[in-house]
Amino acid sequence: MKTVVVTGATSGIGMEVLRLLSREGYRVAGVSRTAEGCERVDVPDVKWFVGDLMQQREVNRVADEINAWLGEVSAGKLYALINNAGCARNRYTTTEDGYEQQFALNYLAGFLLTHRLLPALLHGGRVLMTASRSHMGIKVHWNDVMLRRRYNPLTAYKQSKLCDILFAKGLNDRYSEEGLRAYAVDPGLVNTAIGDKSGGIVKFVWSFRKPHGTDASVPAETYSLLCNAKQPELLSLRRTGVQS
Amino acid sequence: MNVMITGAAGGLGRAIAVECGSRGYDLFLTDIAPNGLESIELGIKRQFGVNVITHACDLTHASAVDIMLADIDRMGLAFDMLINVAGIDFEGGFLTQDREASVKIISLNDAATLRITHAMLGRRNKVRFTVVFVSSLASMFPMPLKAEYAASKPFLLDFATALRQELKADSVNVLTLCPAGMETTPKATKKIAAQGFWGDVTTNALESVARRTVDRALRGRTLYVPGVFNRLLAGLGRLVPRSLAAAVVYRRRSDAQRRWMNTEE
Repeated sequence: MKTVVVTGATSGIGMEVLRLLSREGYRVAGVSRTAEGCERVDVPDVKWFVGDLMQQREVNRVADEINAWLGEVSAGKLYALINNAGCARNRYTTTEDGYEQQFALNYLAGFLLTHRLLPALLHGGRVLMTASRSHMGIKVHWNDVMLRRRYNPLTAYKQSKLCDILFAKGLNDRYSEEGLRAYAVDPGLVNTAIGDKSGGIVKFVWSFRKPHGTDASVPAETYSLLCNAKQPELLSLRRTGVQS
Repeated sequence: MNVMITGAAGGLGRAIAVECGSRGYDLFLTDIAPNGLESIELGIKRQFGVNVITHACDLTHASAVDIMLADIDRMGLAFDMLINVAGIDFEGGFLTQDREASVKIISLNDAATLRITHAMLGRRNKVRFTVVFVSSLASMFPMPLKAEYAASKPFLLDFATALRQELKADSVNVLTLCPAGMETTPKATKKIAAQGFWGDVTTNALESVARRTVDRALRGRTLYVPGVFNRLLAGLGRLVPRSLAAAVVYRRRSDAQRRWMNTEE
């Protein structure tokens, strides 16, 4: 049985991915920010880990727990890590570590979790990043990565997603020979709750965009495809540019 | 430059700590939350490579502060800037509050701030020293349903103004920051959203308040009220009779409070 870990698994895309992969026979684990969140998810046999991945201390703790669990159930091997947890913010807000929150959750959390689970993944494992096509036309603001000079919530979001894509590329460059493959998924516009709690203009704009989004079960198929397909098939997929 | 920041593990204190770190200042951070301090220490060291010392301390206990000061003296530190951010607020009507919680607002926001300011002025760099007090736009008028907090803040504003005069000859500058709401926690975000239009126009951007506060303090300014609209409100607060201001604020706040309490999960 192959083991899959999904972050941000209590709503939106993460929950549908969890549901689909569970149905397809994977051993699934979800990471949730709160214990109450897990109870809302009606997927059977999910191993839950609770932690606020925005805080690096929590990422490290969750990673320790996952590694221990993998040791028990799958001889320390992880088949796929799906770094999906993400957020949208209306204003500059910081995490406990003093990082801007969108950058911290959308990118740094996935980076650190992957880093901590890397030994478990280097046996033909896969890393899937929930990215976005909105990264196009954006650059990384190297002189002010947290955008403290001029904070634009959408720029911060797009930049964090660009970093996710660069991270997937970077992982492939470094570890593809050791059997690890990384993918960035553009789920398209999806009807999720990502902008609902942000308040202000971001919430306002999202309330108009949201109804036009597809159901989260649609992009979940893409994640399932990337988990199920054999590596050579995936390479050809990439060349022909198949999208969900 | 050695900077001491109180309340450095949360919201504004953390943002100011990051701002100071980005300027290359060495930091001494204190807060009541040891875990939060550990995180921000690591985050700032990683991002900016400055020296960061942290000491978790409940500033309302004189004995705890004495232990911290002994630690500082052992290290032989002298400071160039003190930023008093530590503060607390429990909202709600006076009689619905826990008695000691009400008292705590004053003992932290005012008494503890005096304690730490006195201690740090004694450990200041004699060439030039800067003190920042975080008062609030709430210092400009009485605020029903936030009464203790709003009353604790003019204390800081008046004290700061007087202290500045006393220490002018000793190259000490004192700045008072009077911000309106800022999105520092998910709860704050929710409260601001519940205030609707008024929430939006009064809310200050955390990152620019942090930057400009440090800028202005070093430039020798006295008072910083961020935001044009808030400056207007502050001016209005001086003109309008106190009881009328209280009535208006009460109406607005009781509506907003009902709304954000209803949205609580």
